[in-house]
Amino acid sequence: MSTVDMMQTSDIHEQSAVPQPKQHGKAGGFLRRTNVLTGTGLGLVLSVVTYAIGSKLVPWGTQNADYSQVGFDALVGATYVAWVIGFMIGIGAFAGPIRWMLGHDITHDDAEYLAGKGQGKWKYWKYTTDHKVVGIQYLIMALTLLGFGGFFAMLIRTELGVTWQEVFDPNFYNSLIGTHGIVMIIAMIIVVSGPLGNFIMPIMIGSRDMAFPRLNALSFWLLFAAVPPLLSNLLLGGMRDGWTAYQPLGTQAPVGMLGYQICIITFAFSTGIAGVNLITTIVTMRARGMTWNRVPIFVIGILAAAIMGLVWFPMYQYSQALAFSDKVFGSSFFIPQEGGSVWLYENLFWLLGHPEVYVIVVPATAALLELMVVFLRKPLFSYKVAVAGFAGIVGLSSVVWVHHMYMTGWAPSAGYPFMLSTELISIPFGFLVLVMLGTMWRGKVWTRLPMMTVYAVLWCKIIGGITGVYLSDVPVDQYMHGSMFVVAHFHFMLMGAGLFGAMGAIAYWFPKMTGKMLHHGLGMTGFWVSFFAFQVTFGSMFVAGLQGQPRRVLQFDNAFEISNWISTIGAYTIGVGMLIFLYAIITSWRSGTIAPANPWGSKTLEWQTQTPVPLENFPVLPVVTSDPYGYGVPDPYDAIELKMTDENVKVGA
Amino acid sequence: MSTTTASSTQQIPRSATTGEPVTTTARRNRLGIWLCIVSDATGTVALLISYVYLWSLNVNDGWAPPKDRFADDLPFWLIVGGIILAAATMWWGVRGIARGQRGRLMLASALAAIIVLVSFVGQIVQLSTFPFAMTDGAYASATFWLAISTAIHLSVVLFLTTAIMNRTRAGLFTASNHSHARLVAMWMTWVCVAALLGAVCTSTMKVSPNTQSPAFGVFTSQ
Repeated sequence: MSTVDMMQTSDIHEQSAVPQPKQHGKAGGFLRRTNVLTGTGLGLVLSVVTYAIGSKLVPWGTQNADYSQVGFDALVGATYVAWVIGFMIGIGAFAGPIRWMLGHDITHDDAEYLAGKGQGKWKYWKYTTDHKVVGIQYLIMALTLLGFGGFFAMLIRTELGVTWQEVFDPNFYNSLIGTHGIVMIIAMIIVVSGPLGNFIMPIMIGSRDMAFPRLNALSFWLLFAAVPPLLSNLLLGGMRDGWTAYQPLGTQAPVGMLGYQICIITFAFSTGIAGVNLITTIVTMRARGMTWNRVPIFVIGILAAAIMGLVWFPMYQYSQALAFSDKVFGSSFFIPQEGGSVWLYENLFWLLGHPEVYVIVVPATAALLELMVVFLRKPLFSYKVAVAGFAGIVGLSSVVWVHHMYMTGWAPSAGYPFMLSTELISIPFGFLVLVMLGTMWRGKVWTRLPMMTVYAVLWCKIIGGITGVYLSDVPVDQYMHGSMFVVAHFHFMLMGAGLFGAMGAIAYWFPKMTGKMLHHGLGMTGFWVSFFAFQVTFGSMFVAGLQGQPRRVLQFDNAFEISNWISTIGAYTIGVGMLIFLYAIITSWRSGTIAPANPWGSKTLEWQTQTPVPLENFPVLPVVTSDPYGYGVPDPYDAIELKMTDENVKVGA
Repeated sequence: MSTTTASSTQQIPRSATTGEPVTTTARRNRLGIWLCIVSDATGTVALLISYVYLWSLNVNDGWAPPKDRFADDLPFWLIVGGIILAAATMWWGVRGIARGQRGRLMLASALAAIIVLVSFVGQIVQLSTFPFAMTDGAYASATFWLAISTAIHLSVVLFLTTAIMNRTRAGLFTASNHSHARLVAMWMTWVCVAALLGAVCTSTMKVSPNTQSPAFGVFTSQ
């Protein structure tokens, strides 16, 4: 039974028959003149002007009791805000809303220009609305952020590789920890939902684009604007209290903390807009015949992550907005001497802080569920259980945040209910693991790189999950909460389950996104080196944590020396593995083997259209006539599959 | 192989950019607005939680502003009244355009924009005349932020109502294609709810119920 029929109907857009609004100037209008350079330029100019004017308004040299300059927080805060606003004006983000307000609706020609038609590679540097361009932009951004975060991790491990010596100033070291943490978290949030949620998902559901193409571009460029303030914090005194930026330390921190806060406030707008777009696209733009029980499981995972992000990110955003207000305007939300409460901050922060783990892990897991059926040539084991697993995670994610606050003294009696809810969430996660195992049972494994990541993620998720159950116990957490054991645990979840899953997903969809096959040998080498080094690094860190080594402390006792040496050597090796994987991506993208339209013989819609994917994705809109996992069912299509499969073994070798 | 007849959708205007029937894009936009409201509501709830939490704790006896000079209730309710009036006016206009009365939507959006502008100015006046500064304790901080939130909401609504007025004047709305006006009215309704919740908080929760406040952040040697 074939998965799709191509619909040849009058439903295809016949633009010539649709009355067009008046064309104002050339197609694209103001956006013809904007790009990342104009955005960066205007952002910098506005920042400098704001700083210069602010410096004149605030008497220079006047000092607070702690010798900090009066008004400096406000000055730097205004400068950061000016950067974001200037960049967004310069990239052209406000052109659309202003045109709409003036009643100058865009024409079909405008829409095609905005989608990047005829602009070559330059479209990747502009406010382009095509979901495939936005997906590639997200991919580059995610890889860049992972590069920064990985580099900071190397610096951290360098410091921890030597006992009783300070390679870095302790304050800088603490800032490295915080910056590494938040850079990696942002990268992990976007690494699947960004590139694949934007590039692949709309094609997968048989749509021509996202529901709101201009909002799609807006969400990416807001993210772009958010990153420089974050990275600049290291030059402005840093953020010394970790990525959580606990209060009142955040208020007492140097001005670099404002870079973090502005980044999160801006990034939350980006995430919210992306969430609205993803949910609306999935709910309203599925192909005809794609009923809810025929929706690919990857799409369900993206939907789950988008819902969690949409609902909970504003809490994180407001925690940082109010912290910014405390620091810049002198309000007292989180300053106990003036009636504020640090517990308020911690609650607002962790209301997103913990669901964010699922925002990271769920899309990666869903991607693996999606690809494993292809490499096992059998249907997904219990689709409905997998959906129930995602639904359970979304539901329970909102009632687990307090396990991060057991040791803060807030509502001790709440500890046990939240211990229970945290342990309960392992049940829907268990559903997903069972679906994976059930799908693998008696499957004929095609040992390509994407499938290898499934084994890796299963292993990491089990280790991370079991140690997570321990840490969610109040009595165990009292001993372990501030130790390296926690660091190892969450790296097994975020990196082990999240990043390795993302590597598998990128390897799987790489041919569709780039038109080239990812080099099999280099990809496998990079992945396996990273995976085994990861076990060494964080396995040893579990030992150090059990021995009692505290986290976020750059000097430690000789008792932890060997564990730390091993972790540092492992971390460098992860770096080598990741560089090999990155090299595989870059060389394959530039000069790899041309990919056929459906190299894996997959049945989902994105593989049924040509590669490179045309601007409107499908020549005619598809109609879905069966579920996407009908592998193993006798069908003439299988013969085509097998032929493709044989070819691709040679292609990737 | 399924086919669709063009005749069933011939009477419905189509989107200039995608060619889809405008009813399809209207349904999509409506879901988008609902999701925006959900997201914005979470942020508003964060502010309300902050207000109620700090009010109930009264940490270090730092809730009340100096000399217990709380903000007057009346300005909050006047602004809420303004927003409700503007939203009701906009809905009246939307009902009108649904019957093909473009002039009614023109009048309604112009009136709504004026009412929102007056409310916005009123909000700015209130912010600048509070009997306390933002630095005067937890109540002052929370109240300032609720008012700032309303001001931001109002500025967005001002932009939207002005846009609807312009677009109506340009003849872009008809009885069968006026979904943007309806979406703006939906958003204005949510803004009413947000402002109302803020006004309820600031009017009913002034003096903290906690007279034995916990003391944090103050360390004394015995």
